[in-house]
Amino acid sequence: MANQVINVTAGSQAILSLGNTSTLAEPDNANAMKIPFLQDISISAAPGTVKYSVLDSSASKAFTTVNENSVSGNMLVDEDAFFGNASITLNSVGINGLFATSVAKTEIYFSVAFEGTDSGDHYIEGSGFIGGLAPTASMDAAVWLTPIEIICSSELTAKTI
Amino acid sequence: MSIRTLLLTQLANTTDNGGVASTDYSLEANELPWSASGESLYVKNMRVVYVGDEDEAKVQLYRTLDQNAVYQTDTVVQAFLTEDAKNIKANNPTVIQNMLDAKSVVNTDNGYNVQNSESGYEQEIEDDYITYTFEYTFTTI
Repeated sequence: MANQVINVTAGSQAILSLGNTSTLAEPDNANAMKIPFLQDISISAAPGTVKYSVLDSSASKAFTTVNENSVSGNMLVDEDAFFGNASITLNSVGINGLFATSVAKTEIYFSVAFEGTDSGDHYIEGSGFIGGLAPTASMDAAVWLTPIEIICSSELTAKTI
Repeated sequence: MSIRTLLLTQLANTTDNGGVASTDYSLEANELPWSASGESLYVKNMRVVYVGDEDEAKVQLYRTLDQNAVYQTDTVVQAFLTEDAKNIKANNPTVIQNMLDAKSVVNTDNGYNVQNSESGYEQEIEDDYITYTFEYTFTTI
């Protein structure tokens, strides 16, 4: 099998989609709220661990607890994505926007497409709460910028379209 | 409207209205500061302001994963004014100041999101004339 990196330079591979249902958050769903102007995105799937010491070992031991999952990134603030777009009919995350959804602490569903939206392309999905919004503006930056985080309340699942 | 056109429009006003038009000074509204027989027009036609064409560079300010990049445009425009060094006119300081202040015409109302605008000039005396070379620098998003 030939090794092959996943190239994201085409602008249609790494996509964060949100929805108020898991179906609406799928990458290839026409009503998914695709977050525009993402500068970077990170998926963190870290198992919780508890370390302990034993008398017969010079190294600590560990056992795992629950997974601590999150999705984070940075984006340029898009008016519709941040404050909502009332003309959207199906997806309440898109209607209300990131800020209102975060303030309301509404659980949302998300997917992160790795390779785009073609059949067979891989993505990771889950659910959680929008947090970490901290819009910043300056003359040097010229536009509004904000980090974004989805604090997961579910397990991450890898799927294909 | 291009930045050069905006500057020309502003400088075409009278000195009382932020331009250079007055009894002693005027603006060349069409021609670029070209040379005739090795002599620049602004030297040949003293106290006539000439505005050069724009130098422009487009730089990617932000890259995004969806390739909706945000660009900044750096624009530089030069303007020229030559004066008889033996006979500087009384309203020369006003004309100079108005030429410096003309940069403010490039603004959001005229379609430019200006991040930074600067203007300045250098002067050079040769023989019996003095040439002011103005440089306007704009960073727009």
